[in-house]
Amino acid sequence: MHIALEYAGTIGVGGLKDVALTVVSLILSIILGTLFALGRLYGPWPVRTLIYWYVEIIRGLPAILQLFIIYFGFTQWGINFSPLTAALIWLVAYGTGYAVEIFRSGIMEIPTGQREAAAALGLSSRTTMIRVVVPQAYAIMLPPLTSFVVLQLKNTTLLYLIGFADIMYEARLGVDATNHAAILYFMAALAYLILSLIIGRVGVRLERNVAAYR
Amino acid sequence: MQTLWSAWMQYLPLLLRGTAMTVELTAAALVVGVLFGFLLALGRLSRVPALDTLATGYVEVVRAIPVLIILFITYYGFAELGLVLSGITAAVVSLGGFYATQYGEIFRGAILGIDRGQTEAATALGLTSAQTMRRVVLPQAFFTILPPATNQLSNLIKDTSLVFTISVADLMYQANSALSVNFLPMDMLLEAGVIYFIFYLIIAKVLGRWEVSVQRRRN
Repeated sequence: MHIALEYAGTIGVGGLKDVALTVVSLILSIILGTLFALGRLYGPWPVRTLIYWYVEIIRGLPAILQLFIIYFGFTQWGINFSPLTAALIWLVAYGTGYAVEIFRSGIMEIPTGQREAAAALGLSSRTTMIRVVVPQAYAIMLPPLTSFVVLQLKNTTLLYLIGFADIMYEARLGVDATNHAAILYFMAALAYLILSLIIGRVGVRLERNVAAYR
Repeated sequence: MQTLWSAWMQYLPLLLRGTAMTVELTAAALVVGVLFGFLLALGRLSRVPALDTLATGYVEVVRAIPVLIILFITYYGFAELGLVLSGITAAVVSLGGFYATQYGEIFRGAILGIDRGQTEAATALGLTSAQTMRRVVLPQAFFTILPPATNQLSNLIKDTSLVFTISVADLMYQANSALSVNFLPMDMLLEAGVIYFIFYLIIAKVLGRWEVSVQRRRN
């Protein structure tokens, strides 16, 4: 039992790092994902094709392979990233790939009547996008977005492989030092379980708040 | 350019050996996941409260835990508690155990999604309940299941790449062992990436498109 207490602190700190990284990468990937989704829907064809294949590659390659390409692969070309930088680049690149699809289907679900009404009211297409379509798309996106946040959080488990000191890394250090794999990995699992529960709760509450926009 | 291709060709047999392991692991984990998932779906739809609670609890908890941690608990954690599994067994158990939650939810949704009017109409036409299940409910549920099930299959192949952390010699493992010898990390990872991507394209595009066309012909 004292092993659990001994490592609860470091695993907790690792958890905070995971959360911080998830939040930062989430904000960036939602912004980029929005832009990419608009490019995918309304851009000229080279932009559309490029974004299409970007999404396919992100979805088609194993997460760990993508992370290794960024952290180890680029060293072959003389580019060395710190674990933190590599982790952030990967989480944003990966998150953007998923956010594009979530956001694209969100936009496509907005009835054309909305856009026609905005045009009838004399709004420019830019204003229509920013004031009418995008806010409603965010409301539609919320449920898939919640599972996307959980996915990104779970992805942080891979970061220990490039030496980023997160939950997994601390748990592993503990296992190496004490040989108590069962309790320490169980604690790591518990940490992720609690964090996903919190995300689920926040998601439900947000969905209730934006219900008016639907 | 010459050196690039020679490195890719030189390590291709090694990577293909890893690919065979990846395919075997995927197949085994798929069988475990589908069978166990079917049991979970039956459990969640069961009228026995204990079964329902047990299945629901399992799905909710296991789904929330990252696959890598499940893998480490089955491989290192169980070993500490006296249950020593080989790397491959641990990989199949943990991937199958995790994907059972995904498949279970797909099956449950599909069975619940069949309109009650369908079974009522079958009864009105004089079909027995066994015929109704075999001829009416299951064929319809099957085609609802296929697209999300295919989607999970491509996730499963990608997640098998995690087993290299417990030294199972899959594609990712072989790519890593190659790059630690030839110091060409980008080339080896990209080569492995191409192989993974081919699987993804086959599953997502070819299978996905076939499913859509079958669906369209049925309607």
